[in-house]
Amino acid sequence: MNAITFVLAGMLAAATPFLLAALGELIAERAGVLNLGIEGMMAVGAVIAFLTVHQFGTHSLGFLLAGLAGAALSLVFAWLSISLRANQVAAGLAIGILGQGLSALFGKNYESKTVSGLPKLSVPGLGELPVVGGLFTQDFVVWIALLATFAIWAALRFSKMGLVIRAVGENPAAARSLGYPVIAIRYGAVLFGGLMAGFAGAYASTVYTPLWADGMIAGRGWIALALVVFATWMTGRVFFGAVLFGAVSLAQLAAQAGGVNLNSQLLACLPYLVTIAVLGIISSNRRLLKVNGVASLGKTYIP
Amino acid sequence: MTSPMNRRSFLRSTAAAGLAAGLAPSLAFAQDAPLGITLVLPSPLGDVGWGRALADGLEPVKAAYGDKVKVTILENIMEGPDADRIMTKSVADGNKFLVAGSFGYQNGALQIARRNADVSVLHASGFMVAPNFTPFAAKNFEGTYLLGMAAAAVSKTGKLGSVSAFAIPELITSINAFAMGAQAINPAAEVAVVWVNSWFDPAKEQEAAKALIAQGCDVIFSNAQDTPSVVDVCEKSGAYVCNLNSSMKAYAATKYLGCAATDWSPFFLEAVNAHFDGSFKGHNAFLGTADKVEKVIDWSADIPADAMEKIKAKEAGIISGEAPVFAGPISRQDGSEGVAAGAALKDEEIVAMDWHVEGVTTPLPN
Repeated sequence: MNAITFVLAGMLAAATPFLLAALGELIAERAGVLNLGIEGMMAVGAVIAFLTVHQFGTHSLGFLLAGLAGAALSLVFAWLSISLRANQVAAGLAIGILGQGLSALFGKNYESKTVSGLPKLSVPGLGELPVVGGLFTQDFVVWIALLATFAIWAALRFSKMGLVIRAVGENPAAARSLGYPVIAIRYGAVLFGGLMAGFAGAYASTVYTPLWADGMIAGRGWIALALVVFATWMTGRVFFGAVLFGAVSLAQLAAQAGGVNLNSQLLACLPYLVTIAVLGIISSNRRLLKVNGVASLGKTYIP
Repeated sequence: MTSPMNRRSFLRSTAAAGLAAGLAPSLAFAQDAPLGITLVLPSPLGDVGWGRALADGLEPVKAAYGDKVKVTILENIMEGPDADRIMTKSVADGNKFLVAGSFGYQNGALQIARRNADVSVLHASGFMVAPNFTPFAAKNFEGTYLLGMAAAAVSKTGKLGSVSAFAIPELITSINAFAMGAQAINPAAEVAVVWVNSWFDPAKEQEAAKALIAQGCDVIFSNAQDTPSVVDVCEKSGAYVCNLNSSMKAYAATKYLGCAATDWSPFFLEAVNAHFDGSFKGHNAFLGTADKVEKVIDWSADIPADAMEKIKAKEAGIISGEAPVFAGPISRQDGSEGVAAGAALKDEEIVAMDWHVEGVTTPLPN
């Protein structure tokens, strides 16, 4: 029972770094740009947010600067891959490594320092419920992330802007022939991805694990990247995948703490296995893949 | 028969003399130049943790030798070919004393020792020995036994937890000793373990600590985490916390129980002395409380006085050798006999320990 309460209370917060980064990447990929530098952008966001919060104690400023830092790094990536038409995979990897290096450099003197996290806000009435109460008691950023998920889903599905982004990702030449500024839209999508990755990093270093340690992102950017693909570029599934991943990773720790007789290495693999299996099964529908897959993803656009 | 022998020995001695003459200026130069000591670390060097303990251990060496030594610290060096390359370069640059700060550096460091007879190598937590290659490890279990006693004394639930990195003997013995120490105060005390299967993932370590606290554990032992991840969560959640290597009291003002600290300086100083007078000899250095390497520091003021008395008595027993930690009778997790009454585990059995004692509730991953 304790374990269930623990998982319910923690899974949304555990999912938030993945969710924020994956939502940003979703937009970039929907516009046809594969950004493999997410991990580095998260790392830069994390260090900038940490330094800001450590210095000034304001989380909002930390998030703002972290988002800008992530966006700035993604601007370099956009310039390389869109304007200079460099290979997206190579440019993304290079920028990702650069980001990790920068974060190590900036954080050098702050190694293993801590800051205070954010207080939790409870939904009146629901937060006091037994067992599930924890689910409705989350910090501010988690609530924002939930709202952002809904907003992005609605924007991609119903707004004209969403339609244009999807058109650019599907067939940039056709979008251009209709008069849409493909280059500018791709820049915008990539910048949004960097901004969200910066937020994700900020959440990781100042709210979820409020301490600085070089390399603390520990592969979470890559998981976010994989989530987008396994979720077949659908917002709802990105959300579902992120929460599932968060829930299973907490559940395996709770199972160990409760003395469950299972191999801990196997348990440690569980979040990956479950997420791959579940999202793999729901995306095995070929028709859906065809409808949602981004046709020009990863291809350099030459007007 | 004697003639060629004589010729051979003559040739040998002339060659040696010639060599010595040729080398003389450079030897003289080498004596003027400071001894280059290189410390290689697997993680970034912070204010606390494993790397900090090693780096601090070299401070007294610097103080004692002043200009005669030059310490270089290379941090965040990934184990494997990268480390081999970096250590080889450091030795090629003239550094004659190498401290390899992680188990994964073993093969590379050993090769360097074999190729360079004039280089002295200390290697953390390995088992290979060569004439100029000394593996070293601390008897953390002596400290964690005492911490376990303190943990049981302050715990209300009798449920203790440990966030642990990897299921290797060094960490298993620390948990076992922690459980045995707790049982010495409260025979019903239990220890739950979460293996995070990572040396470094602060977010996961914090989740693991929260999972243990959610299960009712009110004292957490942070087993080999290099960042204050677990310590920070415990302070904020109101659970007591203790850890290894270097004190993290600064991160848990009210809930810090103590630290099974390692002070490598007596060992490093001795090894550098030996290098200077040419008596450095590779051996297995397994160092504990009696060697002044292992010591629990920053005891919490919340530990009741009678428990503290027992802890001090046990500490004295460990130092004198009268009360070793792994003295029988010890039952295994499944209730079978681990160590018979009257017997005690030898060092080589301790470093290979792959079973949990009774009272550790989590099964050991295999």
